[in-house]
Amino acid sequence: MTNLVDRYVFTALRRIPEQQRSDIDRELRASIEDAVESRLDAGESREAAVEAALTELGDPDRLADSYSGRPGYLIGPEMFPIWRSVMKTLFTMALPVVIAVIVVVQLFDDPSIGTVIGTAVSSLITVGAHMAFWTTLSFAVLERTGVGRTDLKRDWSLKDLPKYEPGRATTPQLISGLVWVALLIAALVLQQFTFTDVPLLDPANWAFWWPVLIALFVLRGLYHVWLHRVGRWTMTVAAVNAALTVVTTAPMVWLLATDRFFNPAFHGFLELEGGDVKTWLTTTVIAVVVLGGLWDIFETTKRAVQERRGLPTQVPGTGL
Amino acid sequence: MDATLAGHLQELRRGTVVVASLTVLRSPGYGYSLLETLSRAGFEVEANTLYPLLRRLEAQGLLTSEWNTDEARPRKFYRTTEQGESLAETLRGEWARVDRAIGDLAVATTPGSAE
Repeated sequence: MTNLVDRYVFTALRRIPEQQRSDIDRELRASIEDAVESRLDAGESREAAVEAALTELGDPDRLADSYSGRPGYLIGPEMFPIWRSVMKTLFTMALPVVIAVIVVVQLFDDPSIGTVIGTAVSSLITVGAHMAFWTTLSFAVLERTGVGRTDLKRDWSLKDLPKYEPGRATTPQLISGLVWVALLIAALVLQQFTFTDVPLLDPANWAFWWPVLIALFVLRGLYHVWLHRVGRWTMTVAAVNAALTVVTTAPMVWLLATDRFFNPAFHGFLELEGGDVKTWLTTTVIAVVVLGGLWDIFETTKRAVQERRGLPTQVPGTGL
Repeated sequence: MDATLAGHLQELRRGTVVVASLTVLRSPGYGYSLLETLSRAGFEVEANTLYPLLRRLEAQGLLTSEWNTDEARPRKFYRTTEQGESLAETLRGEWARVDRAIGDLAVATTPGSAE
C-alpha cells in the first residue's frame, strides 16, 4: 500500500499543470516532512504526526486549485452583472417570443388543446435550458480565458440611468412596435401558403378584408414611426392610437362574430373530441382582440395624461 | 468567536501575510520555516494558503527561489527581490498611515474629547 504522504501528494498533483508538477512535488514533500519532523520533536508518534500534518494541509484538491490559481467559481463578480442582464433579456424577451412562435406554429399544425399545452411546456423547458446553459458556458469560458473581457466590461455612466419619464417614446418601443407589425403581416400572408394544407383563415376575405387589415397594420407601423419622431405621448398621439385600434379591432370582431374569420374548409378544429373548438377559439380571439385593444388605449391615454401633467413614472415605495 | 467578528477580522488581515512574508524573507527562508516565524509573530496563516502564495509572489517577481541541496533534506529557499522589498516598503508605509489615521479618528470621536 502506498503511504499517506504519497497518496496526498499524488492527489494534489493530479490537478496541477504538468510542467509545474515536479517542482511542487519536491517542495510539498519537503514541507510535509518539515511539519512531521516538528511534531516528532514534540513527542508524537510518526503515524500521528503524518496524519496531523496532512489534515492541517487540508483538501488536496483545494490546495491544487490554489497552486494553479484556478478560480473557485464559475462566473466571478466582474462578469456576473453582465451575465445577469443577458440572462434577464433572454428569459423576459427572447424566450416568450420563441415560445409564442412555437405555439402558433403548433396551433396551425394540430390545434388540440392538450398538444398545444404540451408543446408550450416542453419547449419552454428545452429552450430555456439551452439558453441558460449556452450563455453560462460562454461566460465561464470568457471568465477563464479572459478573452473579450475588456470589450464586455463597459463603464457605467450617468447616461445609463433610467429617465422615469413615461412621456418619452424610446427606440426599443419603436423597434418592438415595428417587429409586431411585421410579424402580424407575415403571419396573415404566410398562413395562406404554409403552416397548414388548407389555410386557417377564410381565403374569401382576400377580396377585401385581409388587404384592409394589412393596410391597417402598415398604418400601425407608420404610427410607431410618427410617434418616435414626435418623441412623446401627446393627447394627439393617444387619439390617433385609439382611432387606429378601434378601426382595426372592429372589423376583426365583426368577421369573427359573423363566422367569416376562419376558413370554413379548414377542418383541423374538429379533431378534438366533444368540444366545439372553433367556437371556443372564436370567443378567445374576440376576447384577446377586444381586451388587448382596450388595454392599449388605456395605457396610451394614461401615458399622455402623465406626460401632459409632467408626472414621473410611479416607482413603488419611493414616494415618487 | 461569533461569525461577524471572524468575518471582519479576516477581512482586515487579508493582505497582511504578503507584507509579513516579503519582510521576513529579506533573509532567505523555506516554506515551513516562514510558517513557523509568522505563527510565532502572531499571524494566523494556514500552510495551504502560504505555500501557493509564495509561488504566486515568485511569479510576480517579488520573490526569487533556489533549491538548497546541501542538507539531508533538499529545501526550496525563497528570498525577497529588490522589487519585492520596495513593494513591501510601500505597503508598510501604507499600513502605518492607516494605523495613524484610525488612531486619530478614534481619538477625535471619543465621547467627551475636546473638539
